[in-house]
Amino acid sequence: MGVEPGRVHFSWISSAESTKFVDVVKKVTEAVRAVGPNEKYVKKELKVA
Amino acid sequence: MQAYTEKMREIARRLLKECRVETVIGFRKGSMPMMNEPCLVKSIDDVDQLVWDGNCGINLANYLTNRTDKIAVFAKGCDSRNIVTHIIENKIKREQLVIIGVPCKGMIDKRRIRSMAPGEITEVVEDGENVRVRGADFEKSFPRKDMLQSNCAVCIHRNPVIYDELVADLVPEQQNVDRYEDVRAIEAMSPDERWQFFEDLLAPCIRCYACRNACPLCYCPTCFVDESAPQWVGKSQNPVDVRTFHFLRAYHCAGRCTDCGSCERACPMGINMRMFTKKLEKEALDQWGWEAGLSLDQRPPLDWYRPDDPQDFIK
Amino acid sequence: MAQWEPKIVAFLCNWCSYAAADLAGVSRMEYPPNVRVIRIPCTGRMSPKFVLAALREGADGVWVSG
Repeated sequence: MGVEPGRVHFSWISSAESTKFVDVVKKVTEAVRAVGPNEKYVKKELKVA
Repeated sequence: MQAYTEKMREIARRLLKECRVETVIGFRKGSMPMMNEPCLVKSIDDVDQLVWDGNCGINLANYLTNRTDKIAVFAKGCDSRNIVTHIIENKIKREQLVIIGVPCKGMIDKRRIRSMAPGEITEVVEDGENVRVRGADFEKSFPRKDMLQSNCAVCIHRNPVIYDELVADLVPEQQNVDRYEDVRAIEAMSPDERWQFFEDLLAPCIRCYACRNACPLCYCPTCFVDESAPQWVGKSQNPVDVRTFHFLRAYHCAGRCTDCGSCERACPMGINMRMFTKKLEKEALDQWGWEAGLSLDQRPPLDWYRPDDPQDFIK
Repeated sequence: MAQWEPKIVAFLCNWCSYAAADLAGVSRMEYPPNVRVIRIPCTGRMSPKFVLAALREGADGVWVSG
């Protein structure tokens, strides 16, 4: 629908794989950083002048 | 079409007379041209109300949810697939139903006809391959096949998939139709283009929920739009709320939608929200080879686990 | 304003990724501080609603992990 790929991630990590967890956190953070801030889908409050 | 109507009344009369059903669900003429309305016939005296023509696009499976009586229902191809979905989802029992199959030649698109008529339409008659439209000071004729609803034009399941009786011989299915041309066009867009496309598509939405109410799949006791704690989607016409509503509604129909076109038909603003549901329909076909409502014996892919389910999206 | 840092909402399964996160913490591993974890009883609890709700409320990214 126009949400950039790279904003939403899915993964599968077992409870023993703490190294993989750290790895995936880094990857996800990098991917989201590359896409940039989410501006489109945020619901903006109406500004009252 | 007259032959269909005659046969329908005959079947309905017989079923009611033999007390095989308590209610017959069909269509009767609406108060305006091209606006047939669903009706529940409970007595033999009312059987002659029943009609059939190209304006019976409303999905009758919608009227079966949680009913407890014995019902005869007229079913086009898409209706019958939604009835199958209802049975699979335990919304009605097969034993309660007498399904009267109606081989369908496509429903006509009232909006297109209205847009092509020069004035207010007072009468629409289908005669064979043509649709004759009459108003106070004009009369026009259009080829029926050019006036079909967009989902009917690409339909490949015109014949009912389950039925106990038929009102006519089965019709030939359409061959070589490209069902997903529009979906592919959207898939090819960049995220920004796609965002803009849906922004424009949904701009007229007034959040009346007619699409939800017309949809045979939307039978939740409490819809997510009516929940307030937590509130998943705001009540306003804020574009983000509108988008959230349409997106989530489409997701609820994933792997269940039969592309019957009820939502689009019901929309007072003429929004083509099938763009959402069709994408998910295509996805179900590509990923699991699944088309909703074709068989009573198969569980839908989203409530079934198979070791070979696609999982490339998981890291 | 300081340089923009992404805010990521992570939905972690109690039994898998949440435990992995716990283990990572106990093992004193370092990872980026951008994720805000929400523990769910199972990934089966996940719903498209959650993803959209997170984005609507201003998350820059969403991560679902089982």
